[in-house]
Amino acid sequence: EPEPAPSPPRNKYQNARRVLNSAETQNLPGREAQLLELREYFTSHLESQTSGSLYVSGQPGTGKTACLSLLLRDPEFSKRLQRVYINCTSIASVGAVYKKLCAELQLKPAGRTERDHLEAIQRHLRTAKRMLLLVLDEIDQLCTTRQAVLYTIFEWPALPGARILLVGIANSLDLTDRTLTRLNARCELKPRLMHFPSYTKQQIVEIFKSRLAEADVLDVFPPVTLQLLAAKVSAISGDVRRALDIGRRVVEIAEQQKRDGEREFNLKALELADGQEKEEPKQDTMKPVQVTQVAAVLNKVYGASQNLEEDIEAAFPLQQKLMLCSLVLMLRNERNKDISMGRLHEVYRRVCAKRNILALDQAEFTGTVDLVETRGILRIMRKKEPRLSKIMLQWDEEEVHAALSDKQLIASILNDTACLNR
Amino acid sequence: SRLAEGTPRRSIQLSNIVEQRVFKDDEIISTPKRGNKKKSTEDADADYSPRKSVQKTPTRPRRISASTKSTATPTHGTVAAAAAASAAPMTPSQKLKKIRSGELSPSMQQRSGKPVDDLLKSKLQLAREQLHVSVVPKSLPCREKEFENIYSFLEGKIQDQCGGCMYVSGVPGTGKTATVTGVIRTLQRLVAQDKLPGFDFLEINGMRLTEPRQAYVQIYKQLTGKTVSWEHAHTLLEKRFTTPAHRRVTTVLLVDELDILCNRRQDVVYNLLDWPTKSAARLVVVTIANTMDLPERLLMGKVTSRLGLTRLTFQPYTHKQLQEIVTARLGGSEAFKGEAVQLVARKVAAVSGDARRALDICRRATEIADTALDKCVTMLHVQQALGEMIASAKVQAIKNCSRLEQIFLQAVAAEVTRTGVEESTFMGVYTQVETIAAFMGVSLPPPGRALRLCAKLGAERLIISEHSRNDLFQKILLNVSTDDIHYALRVGEVGSVN
Repeated sequence: EPEPAPSPPRNKYQNARRVLNSAETQNLPGREAQLLELREYFTSHLESQTSGSLYVSGQPGTGKTACLSLLLRDPEFSKRLQRVYINCTSIASVGAVYKKLCAELQLKPAGRTERDHLEAIQRHLRTAKRMLLLVLDEIDQLCTTRQAVLYTIFEWPALPGARILLVGIANSLDLTDRTLTRLNARCELKPRLMHFPSYTKQQIVEIFKSRLAEADVLDVFPPVTLQLLAAKVSAISGDVRRALDIGRRVVEIAEQQKRDGEREFNLKALELADGQEKEEPKQDTMKPVQVTQVAAVLNKVYGASQNLEEDIEAAFPLQQKLMLCSLVLMLRNERNKDISMGRLHEVYRRVCAKRNILALDQAEFTGTVDLVETRGILRIMRKKEPRLSKIMLQWDEEEVHAALSDKQLIASILNDTACLNR
Repeated sequence: SRLAEGTPRRSIQLSNIVEQRVFKDDEIISTPKRGNKKKSTEDADADYSPRKSVQKTPTRPRRISASTKSTATPTHGTVAAAAAASAAPMTPSQKLKKIRSGELSPSMQQRSGKPVDDLLKSKLQLAREQLHVSVVPKSLPCREKEFENIYSFLEGKIQDQCGGCMYVSGVPGTGKTATVTGVIRTLQRLVAQDKLPGFDFLEINGMRLTEPRQAYVQIYKQLTGKTVSWEHAHTLLEKRFTTPAHRRVTTVLLVDELDILCNRRQDVVYNLLDWPTKSAARLVVVTIANTMDLPERLLMGKVTSRLGLTRLTFQPYTHKQLQEIVTARLGGSEAFKGEAVQLVARKVAAVSGDARRALDICRRATEIADTALDKCVTMLHVQQALGEMIASAKVQAIKNCSRLEQIFLQAVAAEVTRTGVEESTFMGVYTQVETIAAFMGVSLPPPGRALRLCAKLGAERLIISEHSRNDLFQKILLNVSTDDIHYALRVGEVGSVN
């Protein structure tokens, strides 16, 4: 629940920014079918008082954890079920999950070893008064080579007398088939699968609308901008965290632009007449965000190499340019694409000598290549000696050309095949 | 299996350094002696005031004898012995407990002399101090856009009282950490003026941790001052960030060197980025790393998804910006010629755009001007400094090799040109040595001695060689370019042969 805001009155941009946060929420538009299925699954097992396991999978940001934590808070189940939620990344080691579960169930194990904890849990499962709903989030963290822990956990539903509803959440679609093949041998052990598909465009639009309606700031985003944003995000990942992120970013940028506009406006007002009382800023010109603003943010986020261009042109150091050009020259003209640091350095020195530029020595050159690697243009395969490490170009030649934005230099170096042969 | 999980328990031995850091010279550590118990508690020092008047009896008698011995070590000298009677008695374990609970703050030994007065320093000396990398200016020149970006992000998060993440990247020396801490300082000033809701600021650096999970320990230590094991710290932090509390203030966590915190499981990074998504946490995480595409390259999909798309890249400084930075550091001082600064800026911007590098070269230039007894740093000094710092010492090293080593290097180069392969065996090289030696009329070293030459050149890293145990078949690689060898020997030979 939002707290009373601090002293300054908040405008609609700020409210929109706050309500688009990617924290947990109460209502989940776009996940009605999944919620219904989960609810039916739980109630059917509650009514028949039988155990069951369920594996929920889906891409990051598709609302798996949100759905289950909504159901874990549901008062309908709280009377009839004992609910435990464990995030498997927060346990110290794979075997320590029993200890954590003991702590959650407030069991008193006999000793302090893993086995004692396991025995305590199994004793509890046999004799428990209430049914147990155990949700294990990020269950892929429990994978080991032998999978002893995962198998033990997924065998609990088949324990005589146990009434446990087990839910595992992870990203990969086929975790149970890939890592828990032995469960397929017995039908009662096989977890029921449930996939959370990536959000569609319409669902993302619905999510935005419900969020914005919460704070009554629906007019900040005109429908066209929402459609554009949702279409782009759903086409690329369908991850609602990204969508909310971009939505927030758009509002932030709109707010900043508005503030800049106001500042300019105020300056003008001061220039014109400073005797008058300023009533113009008071009217609070709340402009809805523009399609251009959304498109700019989307381009910045998703068009990786295009926006590099504008940033880089001024700030690409000359020696790095020369290094990249030499690399492109070698890749283009040599059949052997296996380029080591030493070979590249030799060619680079010749290129530098031709251009009358003082070349770096090998130690410096290695550092230069490292710096270019941080941009993601190259990848270095480290070897025992720096001279032997392999350098691989990760970008297209066209992208490199565009990033360097120094056509004259590139053209002159690429025509200079004489530098290659010794 | 209990030992295998997580960090191995370390038995912490208090070294002499820790004792010197924690205690002043005259507060001597001694074991409790039953005789002077009352007296000792009366005149306890300022740093340490024991709560209980009765000292806890050490459980193990063996420890006592060990520590009594250590108190009588000559390092503490006579002062120590004299003070021993009146000092507060503490066993090492009590001391450790005090350190872990944060009741004793670590202090460094003060130097005995006074620092030199600023008025006595020369112009060059002042410039040199101003140019030191550690003197971060109040406002960073040429980073206004990035400052504004981070500022509006953090201010928005603090005002909205919700969590979030940001990823800042850029090559080393482009002012990332300085800008972020500058923003934090500005925000803290606003808090002090009551223009912004208050917030906590925590800071960890991946490189200062022995292990990624030690991050929990550091964060918890900055929150409470107590040092606990990482498991405990993690549970306490989890409790703090997942349960809603009434008067929770926003916490800003700066994570420097994010890539070091990534291990195979990525549980630490996951937790650090998952806590902000909890509405109870009110945690804002700003992560800094060098690599631009680190989230896509190294992090798991779910971690990348949590890191979000709010990113900022610091581009390397251009030569104009570097010039501006250096001139801003120098203030109005005329210790530097304008063109000298420009030369430094241009040379550094061509290689890396690293501001630290530019400042270091300028400092070196002032030192050179100092030794030359000049009042002002000119182009020549800068050129000399550049020559030293962007130096290639390899040609010099080849020139300074012995004759036989030079012949050996020539032979390796000749073998490489003969075979066309970069890697050659010792046998082939030795044949070339034979030929060259016969040609020059020098007596041939036997293979055993040639192996020694090879090992020496390998240790100097002029060549890359295997261990000499596979003598004739060991592989030899040239670590310098063949041109360097020819250049060094052709220019040098004129004097030596004739």
